[in-house]
Amino acid sequence: MENLSLKNHISIQDLNAFYSGHHALRDITVEIPQKQITAIIGPSGCGKSTFLKCFNRLIDLTDGARASGKIIVGGIDVLDGSIDITDVRRRMGLLPQKPNPLPMSIYDNVTYGPRIHGIKDKKRLDGIVEKYLKIAGLWDEVKDRLKSPASKLSIGQQQRLCLARGLAVEPEIILCDEPTSALDPLSAQHIEQQLLKLKNDYTIVIVTHNIHQAMRLADYVVHLYLGELVEYGPASEVFKNPKEERTRAYINGTFLADLKTDAEINLKGNVCPYNFMYAKQALHDLSNGKLLKVVVDYPTAVTEVPRGMEADGHKVLSVKQINKTDWEIVIQK
Amino acid sequence: MDKLREEKLFKSLMLASLAIVVGSLFLVIAVVVWNGAPSLSLSMITQTPKGGYYLGKEGGILNAIVGSLYLAFGSMLLAIMISLPVALSLQKDYIGKTKAAYYIRLSLDVLWGTPSIVYGAFGFIVMLYLGMRASLLGGIIVLTLLQLPIMIRAMEEVVKLVPEELKEASYTLGATKLETTLGVVVKQALPGIVTAALLAFGRGIGDAASILFTAGYTDSLPRSLFDPVASLPLAVFFQLGTPFPEVQQRAYASALILLIIVLALSITSRYLSKRFMKNIIR
Ligand SMILES: Nc1ncnc2c1ncn2[C@@H]1O[C@H](COP(=O)(O)OP(=O)(O)OP(=O)(O)O)[C@@H](O)[C@H]1O
Ligand SMILES: [Mg+2]
Repeated sequence: MENLSLKNHISIQDLNAFYSGHHALRDITVEIPQKQITAIIGPSGCGKSTFLKCFNRLIDLTDGARASGKIIVGGIDVLDGSIDITDVRRRMGLLPQKPNPLPMSIYDNVTYGPRIHGIKDKKRLDGIVEKYLKIAGLWDEVKDRLKSPASKLSIGQQQRLCLARGLAVEPEIILCDEPTSALDPLSAQHIEQQLLKLKNDYTIVIVTHNIHQAMRLADYVVHLYLGELVEYGPASEVFKNPKEERTRAYINGTFLADLKTDAEINLKGNVCPYNFMYAKQALHDLSNGKLLKVVVDYPTAVTEVPRGMEADGHKVLSVKQINKTDWEIVIQK
Repeated sequence: MDKLREEKLFKSLMLASLAIVVGSLFLVIAVVVWNGAPSLSLSMITQTPKGGYYLGKEGGILNAIVGSLYLAFGSMLLAIMISLPVALSLQKDYIGKTKAAYYIRLSLDVLWGTPSIVYGAFGFIVMLYLGMRASLLGGIIVLTLLQLPIMIRAMEEVVKLVPEELKEASYTLGATKLETTLGVVVKQALPGIVTAALLAFGRGIGDAASILFTAGYTDSLPRSLFDPVASLPLAVFFQLGTPFPEVQQRAYASALILLIIVLALSITSRYLSKRFMKNIIR
């Protein structure tokens, strides 16, 4: 009912992203509603961070990376090369996974953005510092040492400082990439509470690994898997009654739980056509319904092997990174 | 047991290398102090050479002290003004990944290895061509050239160490490349930039060959940029070259003064670095 009155704030059309050949996002079309919290969920490496980096074109800073398609915010296509990207960026705050305070005092961190955008008046800057530190829930803890270095704050405090700093340039949208994963539970809770308050004034997009966090915060959910959009909708529907089997599996935790496998092959050191052949061979030797575990270390294989196996009619139950280079793919025949 | 032996062998090797480093430093300082301290006097640092100074009579080497300070600080400032922009533009956000940057780095490395007498000879030829005589300005320019490769490469290294996340933080707030570079990169890299400048200063103040023909030598204090100017390394060289033991001793005293200047600057810059370090993100 109230959903009918919702406006969309960010409209993503046919978004594709590549890292020097690696196809990280495929044909994503989705709308992000205004003044709501939209959670992006999905297993590690599915392209969640890449998705956010397209919004503020931070992806431009990565060598060999590019994005195509459209991301329309307030009538402007962010991916259009001819727009003023600094203006787009100031309209989207980013809260990173690991807090990244700037090498200056707490005060200067908050005023960095406003000063860049031309505010010089000391009184006004003082007001900005107080206002946004209060919104971020940090004011009481730091009001007596605004001139001390930001790096001296605890990690949780640093994250709230980053929130205040982002808000001080008066964005309309807040992007968060796993904003609480580096924090202790109390600081994490603190950030979550601030986000819930902020949603009255801002459109919030949050990437999270934590299904419970998504359930606590999200009004809308976007489920990505291997660079594709699997499911998208109001949180209540997606969590209670997912349309897609893969979403159900992810939410129920089967994606991440330890599956009992019937066979295992190690394809480390192999490149792609061979990866397929060996995986197919191994599946061929199993009877229907049995599970095969495949370990790969070739980046393209991480997305291509599951895709290929699904094309062959098998079911991919999980893809997860087990260490820096290796990935484990579980396939059901 | 074998592992223990290996461990011991390695440890003694490390100790030996350490002893060589500390020992030779100590030896250099000891020789200079031992030979120089007796003839170090107030007149030595407050007077210019009087007639007969090089025969062992009255006077001091104020001309060389002042000259060296002018030359070294002048060239350091000039070199910083050129090096910092170059080092910053060698970031990957600017031209760092281009072919041009590759050739710039290559030529800087070649220049770094070029002996300073070559710089001196080059400067001399150019000055002859321009009809300029040996002067403070000539010396400053040649010393600047000598310092550029060290300073740029050292600054580039510290600028490269600035974490990407810091730049990203600035970009996401809507900062341009220039604002990010000046507001964040330089702030974070400042202690390293100071060290780089000091490294180059050391090379500048200690070099004799490059200024032999370009700055000249004189017993009086320079009154303008176009006057020839004395310098400590050359003062050491000339005084050591005389047949008189007293004058040779004064050469060591001059070397001692040079050493003290470098040490004083090292300590000041350490102190400054510490203050800049306060805000650094680690
Ligand atoms: N700079 C890069 N160069 C090459 N490939 C990259 C780069 N960054 C990410 N990728 C690849 O793109 C895919 C998506 O990465 P992304 O960081 O968006 O995943 P993610 O969903 O955020 O994962 P996580 O939950 O672990 O943060 C991965 O397969 C990853 O290996
Ligand atoms: Mg990520």
